[in-house]
Amino acid sequence: MNGAFVISQSDKRPMYLQIMEQIKQRIAVGDWTEGQSIPSIRQLAVDLEVSVITVKRAYLELEREGIIVTQQGKGSHVASKPGLGARLQEQELEQHLEQATRLAALMGIRPEELENRLREAGDRITEKETI
Amino acid sequence: MRESVVGQLVWKDWRLQRPQIVIVLAWGAAALTIVRWGHQNTLVVGGVLFFIPLILLAHILPLAGVGNERKNQNLAFLMSLPISSIQYTSSKLISSLLIFLVPWLTLVSAAVVLVETRGVVPRGVIPSMLILAMMPVLGFCLILCAVLVGETEGWGIAANVFCSSTYGLAWFFMTQLPGLMGPAQGPVPVWNSTALTILGSEVSAAVLLLGLTYFLQSRKRDFV
Amino acid sequence: MSDLAIDLSGVRKKYKFFALDNIDLKIPEGQIMGLIGPNGAGKSTTIRIILGLVHQDAGEVRVLGHRMPAEQVAAKWEIGFASEDMRLYESMTLGWHMGFIQRIYPNWDAAYAQLLLKRFGLRAEQKIKGLSHGQRVKATLLLVLARKPKLLVLDEPTTGLDPVARHEILRELTAVMAEEGRSILFSSHNTHDVEQISDQITFIDRGRIIDSMDKELYLDRWRRLRLEVPHGVELPALPGIVGVQQDGRLAIATANAYFPGLANAYETSGARVQRIESMTLEEIFVANVQYSREEVEA
Repeated sequence: MNGAFVISQSDKRPMYLQIMEQIKQRIAVGDWTEGQSIPSIRQLAVDLEVSVITVKRAYLELEREGIIVTQQGKGSHVASKPGLGARLQEQELEQHLEQATRLAALMGIRPEELENRLREAGDRITEKETI
Repeated sequence: MRESVVGQLVWKDWRLQRPQIVIVLAWGAAALTIVRWGHQNTLVVGGVLFFIPLILLAHILPLAGVGNERKNQNLAFLMSLPISSIQYTSSKLISSLLIFLVPWLTLVSAAVVLVETRGVVPRGVIPSMLILAMMPVLGFCLILCAVLVGETEGWGIAANVFCSSTYGLAWFFMTQLPGLMGPAQGPVPVWNSTALTILGSEVSAAVLLLGLTYFLQSRKRDFV
Repeated sequence: MSDLAIDLSGVRKKYKFFALDNIDLKIPEGQIMGLIGPNGAGKSTTIRIILGLVHQDAGEVRVLGHRMPAEQVAAKWEIGFASEDMRLYESMTLGWHMGFIQRIYPNWDAAYAQLLLKRFGLRAEQKIKGLSHGQRVKATLLLVLARKPKLLVLDEPTTGLDPVARHEILRELTAVMAEEGRSILFSSHNTHDVEQISDQITFIDRGRIIDSMDKELYLDRWRRLRLEVPHGVELPALPGIVGVQQDGRLAIATANAYFPGLANAYETSGARVQRIESMTLEEIFVANVQYSREEVEA
């Protein structure tokens, strides 16, 4: 179940952030649905071969963001909020867009040109998919 | 629970030293056979050959059994087991003594039986023979002490060299004693005061050395 | 408050050319503590004191509630110790060693031992002298793991191992945490392994403990700030900054107690903060040793 969880060594971000991101992704794509129970902190730590404290931190942060819920003695589960998956997908898109904007600004690319580039990228993807 | 761990350690030493013990016994048996079936000439050869395994036992065993254990870094493995350093020392003393005394007793008894029953050598020789056989025992105790307490290979080797050099001297000194040499050619073993005193001192010295070893080991604060 | 697996207070030990000075170390039960430090820092000595193999000159040592070294026998029933300089008996087989340990320890798990043999790629019939270095390390660890001890004390468990072997061992070490109440203390030069599996990190250098804390908090405290310093601007000395390296208009400030106000303070002084980077444990290790030694020598 946790086979696709991987902590990347070349990813310079802290491990707990990577774990949080991968959990959010699972919820976003619908692999983990609202209300579904998720591995306990200890179990995930063992599966990922990381320290318990790192997983604990990831879970705490996710709980603070209202994405999961941990109950004493009952383990953890995805928050039962309808549309949570879609909302997380939205968040991810926003993050990517902000990143692109920041990068473009650094490179001196104006917003209008960025719009064009976005359209071109969309065309390229459609082309690839039709081949 | 404690006893069984020390017991396991003793068994472990026996198991590890098995090949050496077999060789020593085989050599001793061969030497005794030469004495048994030979004539005047081969007697001396047989006699000398007989003592070699006893000396080997005394000198090699402690170095191999104890010295190597520290040198080969097996000690950390052993001390990770639920034993104290004193228990380690006890197990080493017990196993070394057993591994030494069992073959030693076998060979010495066989030699005594040979002399008693076969008449190849005058029976008066027995006290001197026992005194001579006790010397490797003393050497063994000294080397064991050096290797356990001294910890480095150097101490064991030094004790080894010391013993090897003094055997000849000690024997020469003893041949000067009329109390020993006189009766030696006779048909009956004579247990006079000379023989008994020497034998008694040898045994006491051995026991003292072992006690000293135990005492010195128990005072150590850094074991590994 | 949970029980402490290991509790060292004010421990001192003096050798001819080296001394452990005032070591305080507390490891709660159920955690993994990584001990890092340069060679000769005192890691092995500290570990041997914990095992009761070396008698401290001063201070209290309690392991799983037992006073050390007085109660070392009782403690060692529940401790599994493996060290880099430990050797098994060359002329005997791995299977012989397994039997030897099994006869001594009642909670030897034979099924788990067989599983480990398979996972580690070892065969019981092999003689120790025929094993490669990596296989020997795994063999020693197998003997310790199969006993399922309450506390594992490991001195350099992954040093000198190939990446696959290292991964096999990390897998078993983290698996220990599946059972509550079991703890691990391990020292390692492999900062990546320490960073990955430790709950707590202790940093030791020249006989002194420099840092000992929660790993996540520790990683959060260290930051590298890349600064652009215009001509004529002098960088202020700020609290929480352990050192600054400047080369012309570019500077790197290393913080060991980072808070966002630091970046603001630099900006206020006229410098521009290009980037704020988190640091790997390896980078923290090097910076820590470098700057703490400078401090002592100053």
